[in-house]
Amino acid sequence: MSLSVVGINHKTAPVEIRERLAFSKTETIKEGLKYLIDKAKFNEAFILSTCNRVEVYTYKTTFSNLEEEKETMEQLIKNFLSDFHKIELKEFVNYLYVYKEREAVEHLFKVTSSLDSMIIGEPQITGQVKEAYEIALSERSTSLILNHLLDKALFTAKRVRRETLIGENPVSVSYATVGLIKKVFDELQKKSVLLVGAGEMSELAMKHLTESGIKEIYVTNRTLQRAEELAKLFNGKAIPFEKLKEQLTKTDIVICSTAASTYVIDEKMLKEVMFLRKYKPIFLIDMSVPRNIDPTCNNIDNIYLYNIDDLQNVVDSNILKRRKEAEKALEIVYEEVDKFFQWLNSLSTVPTIVSLRNKAEQIRKEEFEKFKSKFKNLSPEFLNSVDYLTQSIVNKLMHKPTVALKNGDMREILILATRRLFGLDNEEE
Amino acid sequence: MGTILFELALTFYFAGFLLSLAEIIRKKQELDKAIFVLSVSGFILHSFYLILRYLKSGQAPIFSMHEANSFFAWSILLISFFIYATYKAKILKFIVILTFSFMFLSAFFPRHIPSIKPELKSLLIDIHAIMAVFGVALLTVAFIFSTLYLIQERAIKAKKLGGLEKIIPNLEILDKINYRLIFLGFPIFTVAIIVGLIKYLTLLGFLLDPKEIWSYLTWTVYLSIFYLRVKRNWRKKRAAYLTVFAFLMILFGFFGINLLTESFHKRL
Repeated sequence: MSLSVVGINHKTAPVEIRERLAFSKTETIKEGLKYLIDKAKFNEAFILSTCNRVEVYTYKTTFSNLEEEKETMEQLIKNFLSDFHKIELKEFVNYLYVYKEREAVEHLFKVTSSLDSMIIGEPQITGQVKEAYEIALSERSTSLILNHLLDKALFTAKRVRRETLIGENPVSVSYATVGLIKKVFDELQKKSVLLVGAGEMSELAMKHLTESGIKEIYVTNRTLQRAEELAKLFNGKAIPFEKLKEQLTKTDIVICSTAASTYVIDEKMLKEVMFLRKYKPIFLIDMSVPRNIDPTCNNIDNIYLYNIDDLQNVVDSNILKRRKEAEKALEIVYEEVDKFFQWLNSLSTVPTIVSLRNKAEQIRKEEFEKFKSKFKNLSPEFLNSVDYLTQSIVNKLMHKPTVALKNGDMREILILATRRLFGLDNEEE
Repeated sequence: MGTILFELALTFYFAGFLLSLAEIIRKKQELDKAIFVLSVSGFILHSFYLILRYLKSGQAPIFSMHEANSFFAWSILLISFFIYATYKAKILKFIVILTFSFMFLSAFFPRHIPSIKPELKSLLIDIHAIMAVFGVALLTVAFIFSTLYLIQERAIKAKKLGGLEKIIPNLEILDKINYRLIFLGFPIFTVAIIVGLIKYLTLLGFLLDPKEIWSYLTWTVYLSIFYLRVKRNWRKKRAAYLTVFAFLMILFGFFGINLLTESFHKRL
């Protein structure tokens, strides 16, 4: 057999190359699969294309284990990419990676389990593999081998998610922020947030907060005009900067990110604010550098203050945890790769012979029954002879294939051929 | 029959206890469903046990150490089921540990039905005992919420995350439930103390023993928590500390005094 993958990802290629090789639409993937099966004559093919990677998996029944043949397969896929996307091979060939056989299986399992992702453990990739698989199924470009391979890849991803903590801790600052806020407050939809100034990071955090259900949004800025612009953006209310303190007494969450070079909110101010708000908890996030909120404020009861470094620390330690979990995940991957190859080997002789013989016997029985109901006035002795005759024909017919399958020479090819010729895998036909 | 029910309930609690420990050690909330099923099963069996005992003796199953511990274990579980149903706060794992511990303790005390002096056998005494234990149960669960609050608060304040805080609910809900538990538990505890006092005075005249004195002291601490929370909207962290302190007093009253001193309750 020959299983191979040729691909590029975020680690090996810049976006300019990735986007040129990408299969951005379902239709393009379908055309690509058609090309691989019809023109390049692969037995099975599967294309995975996301914004971080483009990978072409193929399976071809080979009649020998010759390296040259595998080389040609690799070349075929490369030519396909170049031909299909109308790019000179030399423009991208250095960015490609090629894995074969066991390595290819391992690679797919890692990719699907999100161990090869830019952000390890991010859950999207599993869904993307699933979608790509569905496209391949609808195009009938996968069959026995790749179907099983993809099923197992998705199964492995599921196991990894269930048995490790790989997806547990948020690894982006804005998600970590929302996670922290949820540790303090119960129903976010009943809470209010105040945005002081604006920056890229704080806007992202705001976006996640509104996604979590926060509806009451206030925005303030040194210039009221800018505040109004931002308020429009987040569907909130603009507050004049002079009223900051007053607003603090009635807001639950504050995201601060101004360009000011001194503290915009200091301890004295917050002490007064806390008194006025009867020590109702308040969560302050200081995303500005230099800091805008006096760090000593964290010592006041019921004030929770995180600055950008604190958040980054949370994220860093989470990334570290994910790496550790990734090691556990790798063990699961290796285990599943082993299982896959066990299956591949068991494709072997015995079950195939059994199902081949069953199939033959089933056909013989059906035909014999038909014969019996057609000619009702035949004597039992005669029928017995016919029964015996058909049995020995089937046995004779089955003898050579059985021996050939058992012999081990070109076993895999013969097994696949047998399965295909006698329709052992698709019962409905 | 009764014994079997008790042992079965204990077994279910034990299984729940083990799973709860596993969750807390692994800091992963994946066994919640199993813990729920196990504790509900234990609870149903336990309820039958209590009813059976009541029918047999005609008095509240609460007067011996065995009974008090078991009724107490039953009460905190009942309370946490209510909390789970109302607030969806996932705290059962912490409660089940306590439930099992008290149930386990209960198993060590003699199980015969305690004989109460005939002049004490009255509805009022039953009410006094049930309310006292149930009130204390409410305050115990309040204590658990306070402890969780303090752990959670510390983790967020100190910015040391990745520990227990992952399986503890958010601060707001912890504080809210803590408040309601004290709001409910304190009056019940108060009624129990008043009823007990009346009965005590009518029976023995004015003569206080250690258990009573300790109860009044504990009651005063709760009164202050109650007052500070209701009247003053007190800072949440301090309220949590005080609740923990008050609970330690209760614990001492429940075990320490009963075991160490020769109190009137013991002489029952």
